[in-house]
Amino acid sequence: MEFFTTALGHVLTLGPLSAMTGSTLLGVFIGALPGLNPVMAIALLLPLTYSMDPLVALAMVAGIYNGSMYGGAIPAILLRIPGTPASIATTFDGFPMADKGEASKALKIACWSSAVGGIASAVALMTMGPLLARLTLFFGPAEYFWIAIFGMASVGVMVGSDPVKGIMAAVLGLLIGTMGIDNLSGQARFTFGQTWMLGGLDLIVVLVGLYALPPVLQLAEKADLRGLSAAQLKLADAPFKPGELRGLIPTWLRASGIGIGVGILPGAGGNIAAFLSYNAAKNASSDPESFGKGNPQGVAAAECGNNADNAASMIPALSLGIPGNVVAALVLSALTIHGLQPGPQLFHQNPVLVGGFMVEMLLTSVLIFALGGAVATRVFAQFQRLPGVLLVPSILILMCVGVYVINGRPVDLWVMLGAGIAGYLLEKVNVPLAPIILGMILGPMAEQSVRRALLISRGDATDLLTRPISAGLAIATLLVILWPVVKTLRRRRAARA
Amino acid sequence: MKLKATILGMSALVALAAPALAEYPERAIELTIPAGAGGGTDTSARKLAILLEEKLGTSIAILNVGGGGGSVGASQFMQAKPDGYSLFATWNSPITTVPQVQNVAYSLDSFTPIASTSETAYTLCVKADFPAATGEEFLAELAANPGKYTYGNDGIGGTMQLAAERIFQAKEIDAIAIPFGGAGETLQNFLGNHVDIYGGSISTVLPYVETGEAKCLLVTSAADVPALPDASGLESLGLGDKETLLWRAILGPKDLDPAIVEKLAAVIDEAVNDPSYVEFLATKGEVPNVVKGDALGDRLQSEYDALAEVSKRLGL
Amino acid sequence: MEKRQDIALGLIFVGIGIAAAWMARGYSGASGTYPMVLGVILALFGGTVSIKAARSGRTEARRLIDAPGHFFTTALIATAYVALVVPLGFYTASVLLMLALPLALGFRRLGYALIVALVFMALIYLVFSVLLEKPLPREAILSILGAGA
Repeated sequence: MEFFTTALGHVLTLGPLSAMTGSTLLGVFIGALPGLNPVMAIALLLPLTYSMDPLVALAMVAGIYNGSMYGGAIPAILLRIPGTPASIATTFDGFPMADKGEASKALKIACWSSAVGGIASAVALMTMGPLLARLTLFFGPAEYFWIAIFGMASVGVMVGSDPVKGIMAAVLGLLIGTMGIDNLSGQARFTFGQTWMLGGLDLIVVLVGLYALPPVLQLAEKADLRGLSAAQLKLADAPFKPGELRGLIPTWLRASGIGIGVGILPGAGGNIAAFLSYNAAKNASSDPESFGKGNPQGVAAAECGNNADNAASMIPALSLGIPGNVVAALVLSALTIHGLQPGPQLFHQNPVLVGGFMVEMLLTSVLIFALGGAVATRVFAQFQRLPGVLLVPSILILMCVGVYVINGRPVDLWVMLGAGIAGYLLEKVNVPLAPIILGMILGPMAEQSVRRALLISRGDATDLLTRPISAGLAIATLLVILWPVVKTLRRRRAARA
Repeated sequence: MKLKATILGMSALVALAAPALAEYPERAIELTIPAGAGGGTDTSARKLAILLEEKLGTSIAILNVGGGGGSVGASQFMQAKPDGYSLFATWNSPITTVPQVQNVAYSLDSFTPIASTSETAYTLCVKADFPAATGEEFLAELAANPGKYTYGNDGIGGTMQLAAERIFQAKEIDAIAIPFGGAGETLQNFLGNHVDIYGGSISTVLPYVETGEAKCLLVTSAADVPALPDASGLESLGLGDKETLLWRAILGPKDLDPAIVEKLAAVIDEAVNDPSYVEFLATKGEVPNVVKGDALGDRLQSEYDALAEVSKRLGL
Repeated sequence: MEKRQDIALGLIFVGIGIAAAWMARGYSGASGTYPMVLGVILALFGGTVSIKAARSGRTEARRLIDAPGHFFTTALIATAYVALVVPLGFYTASVLLMLALPLALGFRRLGYALIVALVFMALIYLVFSVLLEKPLPREAILSILGAGA
């Protein structure tokens, strides 16, 4: 603990403090603007930081990362456009809340939940990092396969009114996930002879199209020429009722645990954490029917889960030198450029820097409390005062610029447009969109791990079940699928009795 | 300063009509990297770009185009204008290895070689309790137990796999290749005992050699590597001609003006040998290695031919 | 539930599934099996959707598009924007979009639209071109001016 106090002393100086404040604000903006995402922002900003004091540079990473995970919730709640893939689950209940006139309450819950998740995760990073990192080593290809399957079981909560269509959407997502070069055989799949498709369809490009374009088109259909007046915005502060916060605590605890658990596994990530937390909250609820119709617990679970993933995802990177996601890889790359060698000795090489970064992950989460709410209501919500017909081209341009800078190729814009129009029509015929994205995220993970596992076991499929952790995960998957069924049956029996 | 550079860039754009080489570069250069942000190639290129910006007096914008083992970025870059304002920072695999296993639209002729920057060997490592202590014993153990051991590598048909298979073919070894997404993932599975042998870059595994958890017994370079005293170079095993390295280079689009190539090669040479860059490379287990212009083209060609032979025998 | 729409939807997915399975036929080893199975499953689910819709008696009207006029205008202008953003350059095309789209949707306060457009483009310029130095499609108008000078 001693080095944390030393590190704290270094962090609480003008440079890192102002960098944290500025970058948390910036992160909220980046997360909130559809098309911009934290990975891109950090990748673009890091080179500017190579010549800076590393603690200032890392403060910027921490702020952008934590801020943006919360920022994604703002358009998710106000416009039903998730700002990042991790905030898809936030739209499920956040937008219905806003629809009921509770936008302000939803934003506040998102803000508190993000901060709580971020703090819990940072505490885990600071106290149990090396221990948790060793734990991740027990997860081989067979275990990863089951995690992916476990994640897909959570598709159950998002299939909507028509399960057949929901599963159909998930299968479509899985199929999209197979596009591009197959890493295990070098086979190009569904690339139609196009070189740019060798890398598959970019998740962000599809997400922006699928999720942001339909609401924009609907906004255009309304062709609102005046914009909302201040009174119509309904953003009066919504104080928590007594007991309301306490009611969220179990959800926060659960979501933090899930977020940290998913976060420490390299390659899993915040997108899955939010879905799993949401699913867990719904399963635990005494009133699962109210989810998807504006239940504050849903917003709390999703937002807490995606922020709890953040600091935890740094655990394998800082303790083992294994980057679990792109942001962690960028942090390691920044540390390398500043002359450190990632690996188990990293902490001992420079406790002030590594400990300082951990402290910064904690402090930027705390900053979300202070800054998040005001940014959402004072700035973003105010955009709704612009006439809708002006918002439409503005969001379109943001989407295009965000998509274009990912790979610098115009064809991605067409992919986005195509995905958007498909998304618009699919929603109209009651095909939910979230399973498509979930399939795209989990499909490659499931396929590659199962094939790797079979290569290792020389084709023996029983290996997928005989290893203790795999078996545990398989049983957990079964429970997640069966639990809602059992619950419904029990309730029916109770109703009859 | 950034603003100024941009304005300069804009006004340079207006004056584009008359390209005068003497003034090259007069606006921002776009550097395409065929890999995602944060990886080894990306970090090396970004660090080098900082030095090049200083020496060229212009800004360098970096564009990461990952996917397809580098072939997506290479194909996209192939279409760039050869005006000297589009450059390509790659490692050897997308150019010499990937075309062996994928149907790509580019060939060696699609690029103008400018200069290579650094190189490093791949290494094969095992856990401390593995029944071998030298490179020779390691290969003997593998040869004596065909099909028993699994080795992790950076993806099917990647340079790492071909580097290992070149050696295995020469010694008639049958080990099972398990392709992962990158050295980090391979390391995770190696440390967790999911694969027996780590195959990948030196810098990733180096900390675990220092803690004694891993022992690296073989490197894919002809010479030994100072950072890994237990590892045998191929020369000492009589396999000197099977050397396969990981190296990085800056290329231009086809038909780039030779005067620009020469100017860039000279500046890259200077930047790579800058003490701060050499030191940075050392932390990653790499050494500076500058081969310029046509000599670089010959190097690419001979590596391409050698790997074509290996992959044909592997049936890839 | 609109009957005809669901029948069509199911058939489209059957088509995608069969096409995918057919294409996956030629892929080597395990890399082909998985997408082929997925294609078949997709086709089966698509078929289920169609059959369920065909057998259900009720048909409730469900409009695919609420305001077709505005929808098609927007979709068309957005498509034109994507097509023009490279030849015209990013900023030129974007300013045009910010003026043309509101106008087409019935907005008549051009001055207001212009101010919003300019402020917005200035912000984008500051973030992407100045701070992040990201190359965006180049402005054709600059080259024309340059060539003329």
